[in-house]
Amino acid sequence: MDKDLADFSIGYAQKLGASYAEARLDLHTTNAFMLKNGMPEISGFDRLSGIGIRFIVNKGLGFVSTNTLDKQRLKGLIEKAIASTKAAARFKENITLADDKAHRKTYELKQKVKFDNVDPEDKMRILMDADKAILATKVKVPGRYISLTDTQTEEYLVNTDGTSITGIVPKVSFFYYLTVQNGAQTMQRFWQKGNSGGFEYVKQWDIPKLLADEAKACQLNLTKGKKLTPGHYDVVCAPQVVGIMVHESGGHPYEADRIFGREAAQAGESFITPEMIGYQIGSPAVNIVDDPTVENSYGYYQFDNEGVKARRKHLVKDGKITELLHNRETAAAMQLPSNGSSRAVDYDKESIVRMSNTILLPGKYSEEELIKGVKKGVYIKNFMEWNIDDKRINQKYVGAEAYLIENGRLTTPVRNPAIEISTFNLWKAVDAVANNTEYHAGNCGKGEPMQAIPVWFGGPSMRLRGIMLK
Amino acid sequence: MTAATKKGMDVEELSRYVLTELQKKGADDVVITSYGKSSLLVKFSNNLVNTTKTVDQAGLSVFISMDRKLVTTNIFDLTRNSADESIKKLISFVKSAEKNEDYNGIAEGKFRYQTKPEWYDPKVEKLGEKSIDYVKDAIDLSLREGAKRSAGVLESSSFNSYLLTSNGVENREKGTKLYLSIRSFTDKDASGHMVAVSRNLAGFNWRPAVMKAAEIARTSRKPVSCESGKYDVVFDYLPFANILGTVGSAASIFSVETGLSFLKGLQGKRVGSDAITFADDATLSNGLNSESCDGEGVPSQRNVIIDRGILKTYLHNTSTAKKYKVKTTANAGIIAPTAFNLVLEPGNLNKESMISSIKRGIYITNVWYTRFQNYATGDFSTIPRDGAFLIENGKIKHPLKDLRVSDNVLNILKSTEALTKERWQIFGWEVDTPTVTPMALVRNVNITRSEK
Repeated sequence: MDKDLADFSIGYAQKLGASYAEARLDLHTTNAFMLKNGMPEISGFDRLSGIGIRFIVNKGLGFVSTNTLDKQRLKGLIEKAIASTKAAARFKENITLADDKAHRKTYELKQKVKFDNVDPEDKMRILMDADKAILATKVKVPGRYISLTDTQTEEYLVNTDGTSITGIVPKVSFFYYLTVQNGAQTMQRFWQKGNSGGFEYVKQWDIPKLLADEAKACQLNLTKGKKLTPGHYDVVCAPQVVGIMVHESGGHPYEADRIFGREAAQAGESFITPEMIGYQIGSPAVNIVDDPTVENSYGYYQFDNEGVKARRKHLVKDGKITELLHNRETAAAMQLPSNGSSRAVDYDKESIVRMSNTILLPGKYSEEELIKGVKKGVYIKNFMEWNIDDKRINQKYVGAEAYLIENGRLTTPVRNPAIEISTFNLWKAVDAVANNTEYHAGNCGKGEPMQAIPVWFGGPSMRLRGIMLK
Repeated sequence: MTAATKKGMDVEELSRYVLTELQKKGADDVVITSYGKSSLLVKFSNNLVNTTKTVDQAGLSVFISMDRKLVTTNIFDLTRNSADESIKKLISFVKSAEKNEDYNGIAEGKFRYQTKPEWYDPKVEKLGEKSIDYVKDAIDLSLREGAKRSAGVLESSSFNSYLLTSNGVENREKGTKLYLSIRSFTDKDASGHMVAVSRNLAGFNWRPAVMKAAEIARTSRKPVSCESGKYDVVFDYLPFANILGTVGSAASIFSVETGLSFLKGLQGKRVGSDAITFADDATLSNGLNSESCDGEGVPSQRNVIIDRGILKTYLHNTSTAKKYKVKTTANAGIIAPTAFNLVLEPGNLNKESMISSIKRGIYITNVWYTRFQNYATGDFSTIPRDGAFLIENGKIKHPLKDLRVSDNVLNILKSTEALTKERWQIFGWEVDTPTVTPMALVRNVNITRSEK
């Protein structure tokens, strides 16, 4: 990495009148493998490096990026970018960044099994073995799309406040999409696994068993599943469902840039206002945190893309809103220090407020105890369709693998039970939280241009009393 | 693209060098695309510019096959040293790869290409900071039209590319693009959204987009919660483009094979009403993604996917076309055939006449978060955002909120009764394939809502 180029960039921006500048130099090394219906579709690798420079000039924010790491070209681009930002001076937002102390740190998350030490052939073989495991179930699965990706990101961040951070974080992820068929009926499932760390996680995921179990569960649902009579039920949501609920309605609305309208055009705004700190949004059983410091998590980092030290943020405590997710700009607007939530997916994107690993904290019960406490209800293990409105109030989750609960026991599979509920009613209906925490990986979309950033979401199973199911 | 590399080669020379070296080392098929892009994106919210983003990108994407083993890479450091490293790794990778028995090669050149002059506008390439004036004018116009605050982006970009294959294809292309997205608000719950896209300044009709967003925002104040049920729905351009995008994606043979298509097994069968004639047109006059050839060099063409409700074709590249014993539709993506510009043929009504034909219905101006319960069946839901309006006895009654379209794409296509004469080219966050669409009148759409 040519760190001198980043150091030069912020100095040059300052020379041209920037009151603040930061440069991010990224090097991503990626290997990717794709298998479609048992056929090795393609393999690929990339080595992408580039630099993004963000600066404040005349109190306006500007950004410039290039993957041509040549000093003369960079000089010209910085000049052009600063001129563009100055040209917007007559109607620009005045930017103030919350103070943060200078950090100088190098950190690296080690790979126990290095990506480079596993042959491409063996990586593809993992997918082929997983495909064989699906076929071995004898379940008819005509659509089988699976992929495996490993990426190492080396990032150097430097700013004119004296911060200088080098971080090396490897990530590995696995994605699948299955279509299970029974006669004329089909059922689909997709999901993703992801960790920061080395190839050791691929073994831990036990992909062949995971996919075989999915195929069998879908088959059972297709052959034995009954459509639910719409009505009010007690519902036990398993960690995967809790995870998406937490992410969509317990994480996104807490992003302060939405609250201030900066993402209004696409990602939308939020029902939360700055005055709602302390508002009782859920039952006392609800505790939600966002924590980038969980080692080996998919949303792991030690310093955010503004160089602010990462820490755990308690968004909801005992059902009350306690903290928002901030970058230095939104933090300044609320006269707070940043809590280190600013991230960019790549060198050519500006960093914006993002979640990292957002989870519901565990309670004291086992999942079995939650189920035992239900006379007539539904257990939803996972889901397919989901969505939420752009103020993060109205949401829908349609179960995939799900079962009826009768007198405290799981009985008949249930087909596509749909929860369509407001954020307020969802979190107030939680009466008990289990202790079987799971973490699930996803790529969260936000920003324009769109940035799909790695995150974890999760938590333990939770029980909702008397909610409408369709 | 003429930028010199550090070793003195320009990218065309570098492309030729990579091709020759890969062939020498035994590659059967090679496709190299070099590209360069410059853009200025102005992001605004609350009537103020948040940031200006200058982006400069260049790269070389390489696909090779050897004995039906397929590998791809991108070279971002456009130097001979970097290219040599990538060549070495490509050969090593491809030797350890597994065979793709479904792979049937790339197109045989040479071809003759036609570009349209409106795809490249030097005025857009040189627009630079003047694009900020457009943003200022757009915000001012939205305020005059009654909006309280607006947010969005304006991106102006220029690109060039050079395609070279081992089968004799060579093609140079350059183009420009303009994209304005504006969402205007009159209240927390009252907003309207519209986009304007063009390849050139002459075709950049940003004023109607700004005025439409403001008008929707102005008329959607104090919405009331919607009741669940079946409604006749008038979909404005944005929401219908969103739904049509799922049809374009389902038409790719890649989606069909992976189970991600509700069009599987329906070729020659009815998938929509007579009103639906739907095409992919890479030659579209002001099409945001129009190009002279596809990703393997086959000259661009217009493909009718659905003709008066009957599914005519899936989208293919050379390899998939050979597998299914059909002609390529010139939609490579070498792995996944992809649409360029989706086009729905117009009808002969206008919005007002559609609304006046509805006894009880909803006018929806935008949706987002379209997600499928099952791609193979087309069961999905999507959430109206921005202005939505109850229609009673042929008239707009009042704005609505808290509603969701929970239906099936094939039902929607089959229940499309009429289309407007006027059309709009839509592109954006969820409509990533540019789509030219009229408004649509769809009967008996299932609307749901949150319930306690």
